[in-house]
Amino acid sequence: MNVIVPKTAAELNYGLSLPHRKMEDWRWTDLRQLIDKPYPARQTVAASAKDVDRLLKSSPFAKVAGARVVFVNGHYSVEHSQLKNEHLASRVKIDEPIINMNAAFATDGARLKISGTADTPIELLFISTNADARTIATRNVIEIEKGASATLIETHVGEGSYLSNSVTEINVGEGARLDRIKVELEATEAIHLSHTHFTLSKNTVLNDFTLTSGAKTNRQNGTVEFKGQGTDAKVSGAFMLGGKQHADTRLLIDHQVPHCTSRELFKCVVDDHARGIFQGKVVVQRDAQKTDGKQSSHALLLSETAEFDAKPELEIFADDVVCGHGATSGDLNHDHLFYLMSRGISAAEAKSLLIAAFVGEAFDVIVHEGIKDALVKFSNKWLSQHRSGRA
Amino acid sequence: MLEIKNLHVKLADEDRVIINGLNLSVKAGEVHAIMGPNGSGKSTLSYVLSGREGYEVTEGSVTYKGEDLLAMEPDVRASKGVFLAFQYPIEIPGVATMQFLKVALNSQKKARGEKELSTPDFMRLVKERAARLNISPDMLKRPVNVGFSGGEKKRAEILQMAVLEPALCVLDETDSGLDIDAMRVVADGVNSLRSPDRAMIVITHYQRLLDYIVPDQVHVLSKGRIVKSGDKSLALELESRGYAEFESEAA
Repeated sequence: MNVIVPKTAAELNYGLSLPHRKMEDWRWTDLRQLIDKPYPARQTVAASAKDVDRLLKSSPFAKVAGARVVFVNGHYSVEHSQLKNEHLASRVKIDEPIINMNAAFATDGARLKISGTADTPIELLFISTNADARTIATRNVIEIEKGASATLIETHVGEGSYLSNSVTEINVGEGARLDRIKVELEATEAIHLSHTHFTLSKNTVLNDFTLTSGAKTNRQNGTVEFKGQGTDAKVSGAFMLGGKQHADTRLLIDHQVPHCTSRELFKCVVDDHARGIFQGKVVVQRDAQKTDGKQSSHALLLSETAEFDAKPELEIFADDVVCGHGATSGDLNHDHLFYLMSRGISAAEAKSLLIAAFVGEAFDVIVHEGIKDALVKFSNKWLSQHRSGRA
Repeated sequence: MLEIKNLHVKLADEDRVIINGLNLSVKAGEVHAIMGPNGSGKSTLSYVLSGREGYEVTEGSVTYKGEDLLAMEPDVRASKGVFLAFQYPIEIPGVATMQFLKVALNSQKKARGEKELSTPDFMRLVKERAARLNISPDMLKRPVNVGFSGGEKKRAEILQMAVLEPALCVLDETDSGLDIDAMRVVADGVNSLRSPDRAMIVITHYQRLLDYIVPDQVHVLSKGRIVKSGDKSLALELESRGYAEFESEAA
């Protein structure tokens, strides 16, 4: 029986239905409620050079990136980009709310083909400047060619109230290696919806890390498809959330072929009234024998009103695999705190040290020292701004 | 330096009384040994002095350099010179040993209004103190106490003491889990810190540590109070006769 539900203002505006809590994948993130007003798509917004410059500098990787590909309000910026977009067709066609929204509204996106060994990181930088509330959607297609090796950063920064929808398809060719670091630092009034789809060929290495610390509402989907044997994927992430932030990460690790390894580690710091959600599903298909898959999520709840929900799932159809998952949540270890304080470290500083140590474990997947340093610096800055004056 | 008067302590969430009318006076320059059977309250005393949560002082006072020690937070006690060498040093994954030592030392200096150490000066200080305790640079690169053997943990505690240079050192069963060679290294480290301005309370179950760290006074703790005090010969006496008589005496 179909129940007719009146469309919300946002849905009328979009001409699309939004996912809601009765859909299993969206039970914690009801976009019908969270998208609280219309965010008209395809708006042309002129950005001042000053605003763009300020946002360019706000990326933690301003000094680390070798080449940048910059998008301002959903459009490729010739002026600020060092790499040209190529002609690459989008291949991922999935009926999924974020992808559907993206298919309807994307204005532009990065299209990059990477061959050989790229020595310095490439940063895809998405900037949204302050203007009337609107939807900014980009569709990115990245090809890491056979035998290539690259470090790719994806940074989202902005100011004001907007909805950012970002879909990224990444194909990693045979024997190739990709280190990818995504940093979501959208404006505090922004909504960030994304889907990242990895397709991994045989004998590839993927090291993926996502830092989630911006936006009032965040939903990030990730899919990793193992298409070739001998592939090794590490997918890590860190949440640093405060205020009333809401961040929901849905990860699907799809083992389709034998002899692959997957590791997921998510470390989530949740303070104030914020809420973090990690839904991680590992699927081992019938042919994917000798799969070695482990997944864990750990949350540090810094206030009584902070919340973390974990939904780990394993779906295994092969009979010769090693798979496991674990999820924990709790507050800071009192023995650790006492030990630090007994050496003269104040309660506030001891907590900061322990929080940084907790989050830092997720940074271990990052090989590039400059990027790791930039993230450590960011997390220390977050801690000093966010936790100043608290004990 | 330290004046403990009629101290009564119970566990915060249980009615069990652990310290039951303890009196102790320690002057600068002195080394006091506190000996006693398991469960006599030795570790509780060390935790109450360092400010660990979970204990409730129901009666009595602890005065340190003329101030009410019990009113201070653990970090304040530390910056005023109180140091506890833990019986079971805590492992803290993700916090680098050098960073921890530097933050600790400079926090204390800042609290005392002293000038903080620069990174090169700090590195020199730690390297010099570590070498004396046979602590390898590799150990210093690891997170605090993580993956350290029992003996390494104890040496790391003494290193912290040597770097922080406290006025009152409380050593809680520093000898436990150490073989003779390791104990000698630790004892040498402790002895090198003996000074007229510094007092030490050495808590131990066995007499053997006191062969190396020779105390000025020895106290026998039983059922939460000091039941006998004497000079270093008391430790030898305990070694040969055991704690049985004191346990019945206190009862």
